[in-house]
Amino acid sequence: MTAGTTTADRPAPEAVAEFLRRLRGGVERGLDPLSAAERAAGSLPEALGGALEALARRLRGEYREDEWGFDESFAEAVYPLFELLYDVWWRVQVDGVRNVPSHGRGLVVSNHAGSLFPFDASMIVVAIMKEHPLPRWARFMVLDWAFVLPFLSSFMRRVGGVPASPHNASRLLEQDELVMVFPEGIKGTGKPFSERYRLQRFGRGGFVEVALRTGAPIVPVAVVGSEEIYPKIGESRLLARATGAPFVPITPTFPWLGPLGLVPMPSRWRIEFCDPIDVSGYGPEAADDRTLVFDLSERVQETIQAKLYENLVKRGSAYL
Amino acid sequence: MTMAARRVAITGISSHWGAELARRLERDPRIEYLAGIDTEPPAVDLERTDFIEADARTPVLARLLPSTGVDTVVHCGILWWPEPGKPSRVLHDINVIGTLQLLAACERTETLERVVVRGSAAIYGCEGPSPLFFTERMAGEQPLRTRWQRDVAELEAYFDNFARRHPRLTCCMLRYQPEIAAGLQTPLVRYLTLPVVPTQLGFDPRLQLLHGDDATGALEAAVHNPARGAVNVAPSGAISLSRILRLARRPSLPVPHPIFGPALARLGDRLGTGSLYGDAVRLLRFGRGVDNRRLREEVGYEPAYDAESAVREFAGRTRGRRIGPTLHPASVLDRLGVAR
Repeated sequence: MTAGTTTADRPAPEAVAEFLRRLRGGVERGLDPLSAAERAAGSLPEALGGALEALARRLRGEYREDEWGFDESFAEAVYPLFELLYDVWWRVQVDGVRNVPSHGRGLVVSNHAGSLFPFDASMIVVAIMKEHPLPRWARFMVLDWAFVLPFLSSFMRRVGGVPASPHNASRLLEQDELVMVFPEGIKGTGKPFSERYRLQRFGRGGFVEVALRTGAPIVPVAVVGSEEIYPKIGESRLLARATGAPFVPITPTFPWLGPLGLVPMPSRWRIEFCDPIDVSGYGPEAADDRTLVFDLSERVQETIQAKLYENLVKRGSAYL
Repeated sequence: MTMAARRVAITGISSHWGAELARRLERDPRIEYLAGIDTEPPAVDLERTDFIEADARTPVLARLLPSTGVDTVVHCGILWWPEPGKPSRVLHDINVIGTLQLLAACERTETLERVVVRGSAAIYGCEGPSPLFFTERMAGEQPLRTRWQRDVAELEAYFDNFARRHPRLTCCMLRYQPEIAAGLQTPLVRYLTLPVVPTQLGFDPRLQLLHGDDATGALEAAVHNPARGAVNVAPSGAISLSRILRLARRPSLPVPHPIFGPALARLGDRLGTGSLYGDAVRLLRFGRGVDNRRLREEVGYEPAYDAESAVREFAGRTRGRRIGPTLHPASVLDRLGVAR
C-alpha cells in the first residue's frame, strides 16, 4: 500500500485538494492550524490515511524488535532493494533451497567473498525468502569491525546481523533460529582475485562446535558470483591503517572512481544449498572432541569446494 | 542452603536503593533487626532501622559491625555516578576502598552467613562487537576502558578473593544494568527526559534498563536467597535507544559521536544531566545486554517488567511532566487524531 493510490470513491489529488480546502476553511473561521488539520483529516482517502497510520505507528515506537535488535518491518522495507539486486543485477539462480530447514534451528555455512562489501549474506537471505516454500529470515554473523562503525552497525543489527561470536550463534540456535556463518571470515573476503573460489582455512572449526553443542543441522552452501563483484587486484595498507579497517581493497573501479567505484559488477550468481549434515547424534559433549570437530569442518569445506567448482562450470561466463 | 535472613546490615543506607531496600525489609516479619550504615542519615523516614554513622572508607566499621550480630550484609554503598558532595575523583575511594574495608569488617563478624553486593554490569565493558548477551562467566573478555569499569572489576576481584577464603559464607555479587524510574535522580534518567535528547549519529544501542521496582525486588530476593558468585540483574530482552525515545515521545538530535561526550559534559550542568560519568557515553553508543537466567532460576526472582515494558511504564509516567508541547512528530500525529 503506498500513498497516493486511489480509493474507490475518489482519486487522491482531489481528496488532498479537499483536505486543503477544509484546512483553509477552518483557519479562516479562526481555528488554530493544528485543530483545523485535525478536522480536515477525515477527507483523506484510505490509502493515504493508511500510510500515515503506518508512519504514525513507527514514530510512536509501536513496532516489534526482538532482543537481538532485529527489526522485521525495517528488514521488509529494505528487502525490495536487495530483491532487485538479486533478480536484475546478479540474476541469481538457486538450487536445493529445500535443504534449509523450514522450522527449528539450523546452521547455514557458506563460502565468503566480495572484498569491499560481501553481499553473499544478503543474497542467501533473499534466496531463502524468495524461493523457500516456507520463507524465514536468517540471522547472520558479521565481521566485528562493522559494529564500531556508525550507520553500518545499526543497519546490520536491524536486518538480522550480529557480531560474529560463538556466544551469539549458540544463543540464537537455542532459540531455534536459522543462523548463517562464514567460517573463512576475512581471509575469504580479503583474498586476491587470482585466488577466487579457493576456500581459505575454516577458522578453528568453531562453527562445528556450536552445531554440536546445540544439535543444529549444518547446511553447507556454495555461492558462485560473489567473487566477481569487486575483483580485488591489490590493497592499500596506508588506507587500512588510517581507517582501522582490517584491509582496504583496490579494485579496477575503487578507489579510482570515488563513490562510483562502490557499484558492484553485475556478475551472474548461483547459490546451491547442499544436503544438511545432522550432528545431533554425536551429543553436545562431542563439541570437546577436537578430532571430530576438525573432521566435520573438513567435510563441510570439501563439500562446499566441490559444489563451487560444479557451479562454476554450470554458470559458464562470469558476467554475460 | 542457609536460612532466610534475620539480622541484616545495609551499607549506603542514605542512597536511594539502600533506603528502598530498608523500607521493604522493615515490612518483612522475618527480619528481626535492621542496621543502616552511611556517613549521613537517610533522607527518608525509616521506622525500625538502626542508623550507624560510619565512613566505609575507614577501618571504624571493623569495630562497629561485629557487635551488631548480623547474619547478612548488603553492600549498597557502590556509587555509579558522582553526587553532590561526592565528586568523581572520590568515587574510586568510596567504591573500591569502601568495599575492601567492608570485607575486612565482615571477616571479624562471626555471626555472618552471607554477603550481597549491589555491583554493576559495567564489568563486561562496552564494545561494539561484544556478545549481545553476557553470561556471568564472560567477565574479563572485553577490554575495560573507563575508570568506572576498572573500579567495578577491581572491587569484584577483592570480593572473589574474599569469597574464596571464606567458603562458609554465601557471597553474591549482583551485576546491575542501569535502572530507570520516574523521578530517579541519575544522569541517565535525566538524559532520557531531556526535552530534546542528543544521540550519537549513526549509532542505535540496544539497552536493558531495569525498572526501579525490579531493582529493589531483585535485591530483596537475593538477601533471602543469595546464589554463590555473580548474578546478572537485568530485564529480559533488550530495546534500542531510538525506540525508547519514540515510546517516550522525546525528539532526538543526532550528534557526531566524537563530540557527543564532550558536548554533553559541557552542557551537562546547564541541562541538569551532569556529565555522563563512567561508561554511559559508551553505553549510549554500543549498548550492552546481559543474560538474566541465573537471576530467574537460582535467585528465583522473575522481573516484573521486561526491557520494553519497563520503558513503557517509565514513558507513561514521565510524559506528563514536560513544559510546553513536545515537538516529537508522533505527538503531533496524536493531536491530529491519526487512529492508533
